[in-house]
Amino acid sequence: MAEEKKKDYEIKVDVKNLNFYYGKQHLLKNVNLFFKKNSVCTLLGPSGCGKSTFLRTLNRMNDYTEGARLTGEVIIDGQNIYGKSVDVVELRRNIGMVFQNPNPFPKSIFENVAFGLRIHGIKNKEFIVERVEKCLKYAGLYDEVKDKLAKPAFSLSGGQQQRLCIARAIATNPSILLMDEPTAYLDPVSTSIILDLITTFKKYYTIIIVSHNIQQAGRISDYSGFFLDGELIEFDEAGNFFLRPKDKRTENFITSRY
Amino acid sequence: MIEEKKTVPDKPASKAGEGGENPEVFPVNRGYIRRKKFYNNLAICFAVIAFIIGGFPVFHIIYKAFEVGSAYLNWNFVSTLPTGFPIGARGGILNAIVGDVYLIVIASVLSIPLGIGSGLYLSLFGRKRSNYFLKLLNELMIGIPSVVWGIVGFFVFSTATGPGFHLGFSSLAGGLTLGFIMVPIITLLTEQAVNQIPASYIEGALAMGATKWQATHSVIIKAAMGGIFTGILLGVMNIIGQTAPLLFTNYYNTGMPTGVTGPGGAVGDLAMLIFIYIHEPSKILHYKAEAASIVLLAFILALDLGLRLINYLTKRFLL
Repeated sequence: MAEEKKKDYEIKVDVKNLNFYYGKQHLLKNVNLFFKKNSVCTLLGPSGCGKSTFLRTLNRMNDYTEGARLTGEVIIDGQNIYGKSVDVVELRRNIGMVFQNPNPFPKSIFENVAFGLRIHGIKNKEFIVERVEKCLKYAGLYDEVKDKLAKPAFSLSGGQQQRLCIARAIATNPSILLMDEPTAYLDPVSTSIILDLITTFKKYYTIIIVSHNIQQAGRISDYSGFFLDGELIEFDEAGNFFLRPKDKRTENFITSRY
Repeated sequence: MIEEKKTVPDKPASKAGEGGENPEVFPVNRGYIRRKKFYNNLAICFAVIAFIIGGFPVFHIIYKAFEVGSAYLNWNFVSTLPTGFPIGARGGILNAIVGDVYLIVIASVLSIPLGIGSGLYLSLFGRKRSNYFLKLLNELMIGIPSVVWGIVGFFVFSTATGPGFHLGFSSLAGGLTLGFIMVPIITLLTEQAVNQIPASYIEGALAMGATKWQATHSVIIKAAMGGIFTGILLGVMNIIGQTAPLLFTNYYNTGMPTGVTGPGGAVGDLAMLIFIYIHEPSKILHYKAEAASIVLLAFILALDLGLRLINYLTKRFLL
């Protein structure tokens, strides 16, 4: 990607020469890319290509993996998150994450969303109630659950649980949302609700999604990247990426020949 | 898109309704099918017989104990201290019931925090390689014979000379010794319970900026509550039947304790009572030992049901 092109954007996340090793495996090979503010970016690739690993380097979730090693820089809002003075707790407050499996906590619907507020020391009850309501509304779940906020989160359907997880992730007011195949286990109706949410969310958040569903990615993304065996093969605006891919391997993937 | 998708070339598409049956033959082995049904029935028979042989002693013990001991089972038996000669010929077993409560409380106060703490360490905080050895060590601790615990307890807690805590033969010395028997059991069950929790719970909490401890106490412990309670229950049930560790640290008291250490600190204990009564050359004490074993079984049953109830209530109302 050309340097002058980079300056046009307001860059939110800038990844430079990122290498990631697990034991002797070299999982991410010299990845360079950046994410524009308030955009939706999808990272595509076959299973095991390192796209989830890459996503997890952005909020340092790999910190707890034994035998993991990382070189290079991830610069978020001008600060290298692997620098020494970085507070991981504050970093993760600023970066919401939604996982592949809906993973609500074994708590009530209300407490699930309030969790993010409580762990950051917010005790003001009115604020919490107001904020939980707001987040549930953003996630398009409020009308469905307003009468049963005290019920366990597991009483919800899979699609509702995933939207609850999204509400939970935005409760701490992050500026970046990471999503690891958020619709992989959902039915088409729930999937389409969540895809619509993602497109409205980019007003407030920079959204980075890992996916292996090309149609979905094409529908929602502004930018797309293609990973293969730990290498970033191609990264471009969605229009170019899907219609005029520069690399033969990208072309093969998006025409489903992998 | 760049070009059209190619369909797989060497298999011509057939329309619905075309074609006949699959021409390939599946070689059916009739003999094998007969045999596999026979083995299935054999396995069921074996399971039923195993259950009967395994369960028989339990039912027999309960039946026999009831047959002989039921004559002594009344309110007086559990609410008065033993008197008469030999001691216990009259009166009840209140000393042993009170003593068991002492021992269980002391052992639990020591072992529940230690056991849960080390279980959480093994499953969440420790490093993989050292954990392997720590787990091995923990399982080894479960296998230590209880009489060895008794001797260690004697030298550490009870003995009046040399290094140690000099607690005398007392409920504190006995309870602490029993507590250390409970620790590895609670550790094992806690570790297993936490490992069964989906990793996505803790990842979800960490990804929101929770510290490991916040994730542990607000998500993990609640989700693992059932397993942890099972560990505590197993531990208590284990120590309530122990006599060997108490031989050297508490022994027995026919009256009420006057403290938890020193002279007068010893307590009675149901298992110990049964052990002592059955050694006495007196028919009436033998019958009372049988009755006491019924009380012990009822005690364990009550504990089991009580902990299950607590477990159910916490799941129902706290989560």
